[in-house]
Amino acid sequence: MASKPSPFFPPPPPPPNRIHEADARLLQPRSRDHYDSPSAYLKPSSSSLAGAKFGSQIKRKEWFLVASVVALSLVVRLWNIWEPSSVVFDEVHFGGFASKYIRHTFFMDVHPPLAKLLITFAAWLGGYQGGVDDFKDIAKEYDASVPYVMMRLLPGLLGVSLVPLTYLTLRSLSCTTTTSLLGSSLVLFDNALVAQSRLILLDSPLIFFTATTIFSYCRFSNEDAHAPFQRSWWRWLLSTGLNLGFVASCKWVGLFTIATVGFSTVIQLWTLLGDIKVKPRMWARHFVARLAGLVMVPILVYMFTFRVHFWLLHSSGEGDGFMSSEFQHTLRGHGMADTFAEVAYGSTVSIRHYNTQGGYLHSHPHNYPSGSQQQQITLYPHKDDNNDWLIVNTTHSVQEGPIKYVKDGDQVKLLHKGTEKRLHSHDVRPPISEVDFQQEVSGYGFEGFEGDANDIFIFELSHSPNKSARKQLRTLRSHFRLRHMLTGCYLFSHKVKLPEWGFEQQEVTCNKNPSLDNSLWYIETNENPLLPSGADRVNYERPGFLSKFLELQAVMWRTNAGLTDRHAYDSRPTSWPFMRRGINFWVKDHRQIYLIGNPFVWWGSTFAVLTYMAFRGLLILRAKRGFRDLHHPLIVRYDSTLAFLLGGWFLHYFPFYLMQRQLFLHHYLPALWFSILLLCVLFDMATSKIRPKSRLAIALVIVIITLVGFRRYSPLSYGSPWTKTKCETGKWRKSWDFSCADFHDSLSDYDITTSKPLTSPLFPEPIESQSTTAGSLNVKIEPGPNVFDPKVDANPAVAADAQGQQILEKGRDEGVPVHGGADDLATGSPDDEDPSPTLVPTVIQERQAEALAREEEKKRREEKLEASIGLKAAEEPLIPFKDLEGEEKVEAEQLVAEALENDQKEEEEAVAEAEAEAAEIEAAV
Amino acid sequence: MSQAPRRRAVNPKEDCEQIPLYPVSSRSQNTSLPQTNVDYSRSSYDALALKKDSEEARKPYWKKKETLWSWTTGGLLVALAAIVRFWGIGFPDGVVFDEVHFGKFASYYILREYYFDVHPPLSKMLLGLAGYLSGFDGLFDFENIGDKYVDPAAGLNVPFKGMRSMPAVFGSLTVGVVYWIMRESGYPVAISAFSAGLILFDNLHVVETRLILLDGALILFMSLSLLSYIKFHQLRYRPFSTAWWAWLSSTGFFLACTLGCKMVGLLTFCTIGTAVVWDLWGLLDIKRSHPLTMEHFSKHFLARTICLIVVPFGVYLSFFWLHFKILNRTGTGDTFMSAAFQETLMGNELLMNSQELRYLDTITIRHKETNMFLHSHVDRYPLRYDDGRISSQGQQVTGYPFNDTNNNWQIIPTHDIPDSGRGRICRHKDIIQLYHPMTDSYLLTHDVASPLTTTNQEFTTWPKADINSRYNDTLFEVVLVEGFEGEPWKTKSGWFQLVHVPTSVKMWTGLGTLPDWGYKQQEINGNKAHQERSSTWFADEIISDESLVANRTGEKEVKKVVPMNFFKKFFELQVLMLQHNAGLTADHPYASQPIDWPFDLSGISFWTDNVDNQQVYAIGNLLGWWICVLGLSVFVGIVGADALARRRGIQPIEDHLRNRLYNNTGFFLVSWMFHYFPFYMMSRQLFIHHYLPAHLSSALVAGSILNFILTETINYPVSVAGTTTRLRPRLRAVITKRAAVVLGILSLAVVGMFGFLSPFTYGSTGLTPTQSGYEQKTSFNLDPSL
Repeated sequence: MASKPSPFFPPPPPPPNRIHEADARLLQPRSRDHYDSPSAYLKPSSSSLAGAKFGSQIKRKEWFLVASVVALSLVVRLWNIWEPSSVVFDEVHFGGFASKYIRHTFFMDVHPPLAKLLITFAAWLGGYQGGVDDFKDIAKEYDASVPYVMMRLLPGLLGVSLVPLTYLTLRSLSCTTTTSLLGSSLVLFDNALVAQSRLILLDSPLIFFTATTIFSYCRFSNEDAHAPFQRSWWRWLLSTGLNLGFVASCKWVGLFTIATVGFSTVIQLWTLLGDIKVKPRMWARHFVARLAGLVMVPILVYMFTFRVHFWLLHSSGEGDGFMSSEFQHTLRGHGMADTFAEVAYGSTVSIRHYNTQGGYLHSHPHNYPSGSQQQQITLYPHKDDNNDWLIVNTTHSVQEGPIKYVKDGDQVKLLHKGTEKRLHSHDVRPPISEVDFQQEVSGYGFEGFEGDANDIFIFELSHSPNKSARKQLRTLRSHFRLRHMLTGCYLFSHKVKLPEWGFEQQEVTCNKNPSLDNSLWYIETNENPLLPSGADRVNYERPGFLSKFLELQAVMWRTNAGLTDRHAYDSRPTSWPFMRRGINFWVKDHRQIYLIGNPFVWWGSTFAVLTYMAFRGLLILRAKRGFRDLHHPLIVRYDSTLAFLLGGWFLHYFPFYLMQRQLFLHHYLPALWFSILLLCVLFDMATSKIRPKSRLAIALVIVIITLVGFRRYSPLSYGSPWTKTKCETGKWRKSWDFSCADFHDSLSDYDITTSKPLTSPLFPEPIESQSTTAGSLNVKIEPGPNVFDPKVDANPAVAADAQGQQILEKGRDEGVPVHGGADDLATGSPDDEDPSPTLVPTVIQERQAEALAREEEKKRREEKLEASIGLKAAEEPLIPFKDLEGEEKVEAEQLVAEALENDQKEEEEAVAEAEAEAAEIEAAV
Repeated sequence: MSQAPRRRAVNPKEDCEQIPLYPVSSRSQNTSLPQTNVDYSRSSYDALALKKDSEEARKPYWKKKETLWSWTTGGLLVALAAIVRFWGIGFPDGVVFDEVHFGKFASYYILREYYFDVHPPLSKMLLGLAGYLSGFDGLFDFENIGDKYVDPAAGLNVPFKGMRSMPAVFGSLTVGVVYWIMRESGYPVAISAFSAGLILFDNLHVVETRLILLDGALILFMSLSLLSYIKFHQLRYRPFSTAWWAWLSSTGFFLACTLGCKMVGLLTFCTIGTAVVWDLWGLLDIKRSHPLTMEHFSKHFLARTICLIVVPFGVYLSFFWLHFKILNRTGTGDTFMSAAFQETLMGNELLMNSQELRYLDTITIRHKETNMFLHSHVDRYPLRYDDGRISSQGQQVTGYPFNDTNNNWQIIPTHDIPDSGRGRICRHKDIIQLYHPMTDSYLLTHDVASPLTTTNQEFTTWPKADINSRYNDTLFEVVLVEGFEGEPWKTKSGWFQLVHVPTSVKMWTGLGTLPDWGYKQQEINGNKAHQERSSTWFADEIISDESLVANRTGEKEVKKVVPMNFFKKFFELQVLMLQHNAGLTADHPYASQPIDWPFDLSGISFWTDNVDNQQVYAIGNLLGWWICVLGLSVFVGIVGADALARRRGIQPIEDHLRNRLYNNTGFFLVSWMFHYFPFYMMSRQLFIHHYLPAHLSSALVAGSILNFILTETINYPVSVAGTTTRLRPRLRAVITKRAAVVLGILSLAVVGMFGFLSPFTYGSTGLTPTQSGYEQKTSFNLDPSL
């Protein structure tokens, strides 16, 4: 007979017959195959008839429990969700993305789209029209047109659902009602989970889908242990697969959930393989079903979300610059006229760098300050006359006679049309990459000078994707390298910016040992007067969904890996389980939102994890020395569940150690959920031998302690009033860096804020928002229009370059918030300005106008805010959860009676089983 | 696999599983046991081998045919390896690749000048020793790749051949060690020779071990560690015997030597450590037929802890002890070290010129990392920056690289000081003001964002006339790095951080250069990060004392070297090595990614001669490396298939073969994994020669897998029987004709490939333009100028 084993891992072998100690030593160990045979536990045993199925069935009465838990969490999670009415932390990004979805302008973000789409959906329901600057800076007051409450409700409701989900998951892990209630209370009263789910952030959807996945998978495993290939088996398998897809489409952290489920599934299959009674055909059925359900379905879901993503974002926007030219070509607002396909001598071409988004091979009448001091050659991202190059033959004679096409291996000179200089390289180190194997590339020549042999470059077309383009140079289709004839180096560019004298354009060098991608170029436009107007024309090939999808994945991966800048509130994984430090989300008006967990929940769950690891380690050691702890019915019953949860925790936590990118406390939240579950199962195990009433009492004590912790830090989670003294006493660890100086001395001060309005700046400069001694400087900061004074320049095109670059710089500065919110960074790209040089002046005018408008708007907002503070003064001081404890008590009391009943039954079952187990052992002897 | 009939496993558990059915008092009593109780007749060649074996067994040790064969082959291999490595060792007669560094380091040992490097010292000391023995006077710079060692005109005659022979000898010995490892693991002579041949005729091994580089010693010691551990493991049925102790401690010793060459030695530690843990775990098992008591187990445990942790640590320390003993003069490495360390070096500038600072002294202050002077001049910050922010319009405070009177600052006391005596000395944690005499103002910082770094505070000065209004903001605390209460602040050696009293920011400078209005000087600002190490400054010189005229140089006394505790020195250097190792992230044209290594995709151009079209290009023997990769993947395949089959109750591999496959080849595989995969996690510059230890392990795997495929037999047992061990029939591996042919062809091919690539290895053959076609054939990124 078997106790009720959890089905994730094969249970340890049943206790073998007891044999005399001395004989036992001589026995050959029994083969594992025998041990692993699932027949021992797959058969429902006679004594577990009451349970019928694995995982406890949820009884009708329990649904009331669940309902009341939901009601409570609605209150806790959504209380005052409209506060604060300004942008908090990463709402800067995710709110902004919603606005871009609604405006259909393309953006690039490192996260998959599902969670953002859901937020957008909420915003759309709220009637949001999408404004450009609605989510510009942290602490920016929301306009009336932004349905931010609606948007926050989405993560909020998902956060609410997490609570009953925890309950149900624990129930399907065969835990008692009390334990499940305990679990859901711990989730409910964790400050970090609360704070995270009240704001427009991705983590709440992520954790929600993690929970749905694990819940479905638990149900699936229960079905699998009971009777596979039933209808409900399929249902839960499918549900697991769908949710896996959802979780991976929220954030790539979801891959850890996939790993958890995958790992467990592999063990399931391995166990099944060891069962000789399962025929290979049957095993294959199991395998294929899981392959379809847990691999194919998630992939389809994931791709579908991107399908929607592309469908929504059809216009060009800030993210264009990250993508390839082909990709950009699919966006509205980009586009290029067809151009001649065949390149001949005498063609005027623009040459684009293949690998970086640096743009076109470019020159302008400015010289290098060092090296040969000849004319600069750069990459410039925008269309411009200075990108035009004339292909001439080596003798530089005018092409006469029949048109001659450029072939692979041809030696050519490239003449810069604007300045009549030729592309030139020589054995001089380039200005920035001063290494042996790099050479300077310059523009060289003067009127009447035929050029020298250092001007000669050879076209190598062999790296083109399609065959015909490898023989003859074709616009857009040929990817070529340009080899310098005399020194053998290749024309090369990389993501290195020239300093101011080069207008911060990208460096171009000639590299003797280049990486392939960075030395590839292609021709984008091609004009030739000799070609008949009816000659073949080409344009970018429109990429299909799949290639767009794959390209975006690659870009996301690169960008994600590139997020290595330090952030003021980032932290390393080692500090998370002990909650060394939180994140400052928002500071304003003497209030603060600071992401910090409930210390009891965090430390308790970490303690549970460590306890279990130590305990299990000890048991393994003891087993090696012949002790039979692992056959103890209690351990048999709980061990595989605990191991599964530990695996989940580990897989959601450990991989972060391998990441070099900036990490934050909130990355630990999915792992936290697992550790909370583990804590609860441990609790269940520890209390399995005591009376249900006492168990409930213990659980109640734990919940009350948790509640105390929650109340203590709730002002930081809700951004509600707090006092300096309470804050100071609340700093249990020195490393918690919420700034207490920001709070008033007493709560009553929050009434009279009107009398001394805003000693801290309304729109804090980055430096001041964090410093405790803000405002020591008396200079008023006024955002004036940014007046450019471009270097006086004879050549208008170059001036345009300079301006363009400055605008780019500015665009970038504005795109990235200087402090805060840098986690899920998605920045405006440098290349998103209007590419036409003639438009640049208008851009400046627009900018100036915009700045003026901003100033006005700011004034308006200040007035509005002053007014609103005046209003607030009339209200009662808000103390969060003033009544909640009482409310909770009432709730709990209601639950007590029901829980007691349930537990009693559970208990009886368990005891009966344990007894039967013992009896069986006895019988075996 | 051959079609030999399957038979029941001879022994169920491990090599030489001991089942004490009855006590066996000595070996001699049981010599006839094997033949009587096991039937081998069904396998014809096994029986043959057995017969031969029993004849052999009666012969004295030195007359045994196999032993003789084995030793001859081993000797030949080492001799051949030496020939291959010493051939043309005098070419190129210029500096090649990293000889730039390691040759230089060797010369420092001869000159006894202190230097700093990220690698531990053993290998470099050995190179120094080689130089010393061959009569090198240390007076050669090893400045650039290609510099000639011998130049009669300049009277230059560096005995570089002598220095290169040291690694060459190591490299040759490595081949012998590999052969030995394979023999001790129970593989036949031919297979062992094949594994050794993969190293012998490997172009990369040859290149790396015939130049003044560290890898020769590293690989030798690494392979010796593996060998010692295998020898030790063979003795596991005779624990605590003399030989057992000897091999155990030699494992520890060679591990320490490996680590003493390069930090990569840690990976060898991990390899052996894993094997030891595995072994101990087995010992702990109560289900074994001879369960150990816990007492006995702890003896085992302790023995390993002492020999594999304590002893190696001691040996490792001794290298550093020697290192510090030899290098007792000032040298290029001084500046990396702390002040206390520098004062242990003869002739060090800190030692010579460090003086205590007194109040009212005028000094210059420099930033430790960028060597910029703290500077101020009359120009002011512009009212408005380009990004629209507003400055205080105060006087600029910048970092300036040149000597200038604007770099002078006077230390102003904030408390009463006596007219004379020690009370005038400025000490750790004193609060001071810094007065700028040229502009008559005080250094100040306040809560205004600095020009470039908006998160940091602006540094400026405040006129003396109006000092009362901003007095507090001009207060700074001098915090000496690792200072103690009352420690005097000194020039040069007194590294300090200047902490602003009201806002507790630290004076800091990064690499930001101010725009034109700041004359492109370096920005100085107040950094809020408390752990920022780069905010360290030092007082460079005392310009004048209170009188503003006299210099206190007269007070300088001759100073003696200040000794420092060895352990402190050791830990300081150790930490610095790790930090700098991690910091080696700059780009290098020949750096490569770990994923490329096993496939030998790209090498390193060591040396080029454009005149004669000669090139030394470090690249492995393509065929050899691919055989190794194949061996690895076949092994993984076999293990995987075996696991699956056994899961379904099928036993495809005989037990003794499987045990060897798992325990021995598995050990080699673990060694390969540990010497390879950790590189994926390193973000520093990586080169293909980092793969060499892993390549050696993979050659071992390749040999044993080849044996498995070709012969399906092994020498058995390889372990030394203990007093209570039940003796087993001896099996000898048999190389069939077919196997011999395959081996021969493979070996010839490997040698052929070696010959094909040898122009790159020796560099002495001028390459014709057509030979640049190598590039197409091999996809190597050769120097394209050829």
